[in-house]
Amino acid sequence: MRLLGCLAGFALAAVLAIAPSTGWAADTKQSLAAESVIETIKKRGVLKVGMSTFVPWAMRDKNGELIGFEIDVAKKVAADMEVEVEFVPTAWDGIIPALLAGKFDVIIGGMSITPSRNLTVNFTRPYANSSLGVMANKELAGALSWPEGYNASDVTLVCRRGSTPCVYIQDKFPKATLRQFDDQGQTLQEVLNGNAHAMISSQPLPAFTIYDNPEVVFAATEEKIDPGNEAFALRKGDPDALNFFSNWILVHRSNGWLEERHKYWFGGRPWADQVAN
Amino acid sequence: MYPDPDRPRRIGLIDLALIAALAACVVFAWFRVSEVLVYRWDWGFLPQVLFRRDESSGWWEPNVLLEGLLTTIRLSIWAMLLASLLGLMLGIMATLKRLLPRLVSLAYVGLIRNVPPLVFIFVFYFFISSQIIPALGVDTWARELGPAGRSAVNLILGPPELLENLISGVLCLAMFEAAYISEIVRAGINAVPASQTEAARSLGLRPLLVFRLVVLPQALRAVTPPMANQFILLVKNSSIVSLISVQELTFIGTEIAVSTGRRFETWIVVAAMYFVLSYGLALLFARMERRARRAYAL
Repeated sequence: MRLLGCLAGFALAAVLAIAPSTGWAADTKQSLAAESVIETIKKRGVLKVGMSTFVPWAMRDKNGELIGFEIDVAKKVAADMEVEVEFVPTAWDGIIPALLAGKFDVIIGGMSITPSRNLTVNFTRPYANSSLGVMANKELAGALSWPEGYNASDVTLVCRRGSTPCVYIQDKFPKATLRQFDDQGQTLQEVLNGNAHAMISSQPLPAFTIYDNPEVVFAATEEKIDPGNEAFALRKGDPDALNFFSNWILVHRSNGWLEERHKYWFGGRPWADQVAN
Repeated sequence: MYPDPDRPRRIGLIDLALIAALAACVVFAWFRVSEVLVYRWDWGFLPQVLFRRDESSGWWEPNVLLEGLLTTIRLSIWAMLLASLLGLMLGIMATLKRLLPRLVSLAYVGLIRNVPPLVFIFVFYFFISSQIIPALGVDTWARELGPAGRSAVNLILGPPELLENLISGVLCLAMFEAAYISEIVRAGINAVPASQTEAARSLGLRPLLVFRLVVLPQALRAVTPPMANQFILLVKNSSIVSLISVQELTFIGTEIAVSTGRRFETWIVVAAMYFVLSYGLALLFARMERRARRAYAL
């Protein structure tokens, strides 16, 4: 009898010891899933997107509505989640603190992945890779082959002083003559006027200028130079949301939707008449 | 600061000479600037950002920039009301004989007045109002409003979706300005001569009535000019809440400047709008002061 009581006591103690631990594990998993921002969005019926105005990522059209590449992306995400989208225009300096403070669910703001940012927020896989562009003068550089032809002493390349393209030019085209200007407008003008063979700067400026002056200048190459990685940013500790948004990007990369939209907004300015100017 | 109510308004020879000299300076500066600054001025975007045409009704509606101006006005009015209330309370507390209220007021003013506004707003927004305001359920309340409620909220507080944001902005501004208003009110109350209180007491008025009927009205009249000053500062200071993304004039100005690429034009217009608001407020206070003088024949 005493033995039985002893055994029963042990059994009870064992159950008590094990039950909570297994119970907690299940709870943790469940609460992790339940606390995911995906659930919050579903419940609210609204996806809150933090963004900042930057042409052509996001800007105001003539009716004061937001348009742009990432606006399209965010609308499509919301449509695929079957919720409404709400944009929270935020000052760029405060956009990460605002995300951490829960002012919106996700940053879709052309934010490129950097290790230091990644210590504070989680990034999805990139949904855009904005790169440098090369705008060359048709008359001077029309016959040159990219990139070998440009690495010659009689070729003049221009860039804005202190920008990354200058480093790129010095690195890849050591033989070419490099001229640097303080103003981006001057670098464009030099190529348009035929004083320099080509200019290199971050997209979409070269693409837009080529689009506006197709008879004078052309894109020396379609290859992506020094591509960056722009991704959605999320609060840390939310694997479900990270998985969802990453795979959303994967799907729309594979089916070409992202590339098509990127081309529309960055390839030229067919949308120029929508914007007040 | 604003027009002196007693000064005769007549333009003399010296004034004309001064105006001419000023105009010459402006023209000279303009030519210097346009020589150095290679900039193509283009004001064509302005009507588009001020007004938009509603497709369904064909009416002209305020577009983003005017919406921003309206938000600044709403923000300023609510912040003024709240700051006046809080400032009046703190100011009165600072003149009491009891230690506790005096200490509370002193601590509040000492803390807020000696912190840069930018830091205060950042800390307040991200650490304090992020915790309090969502807990109040304002956002859910605003989202579930009926159409009538929505349009009412829209009129006095702006778009319901941005309500939480606006409240944060109003609280930040009001708390900040209250510290300064409290000092003004304290000075006003201290400036009322002791003989006034003594006379009132000798008439048999209770302390509370002495304060309400004798001290406070005189104190408030005395502080009208510095209060006007403070309110004008408040309107202009409201631009710093653009940091926490309240969609007011400065924030919208930034967005338009980026979207259209017309930076100088946008900021000149925004500055002109602030000027109109502030100067309007100055005129209003000058009028109030004139009236008070006439009513009390001071």
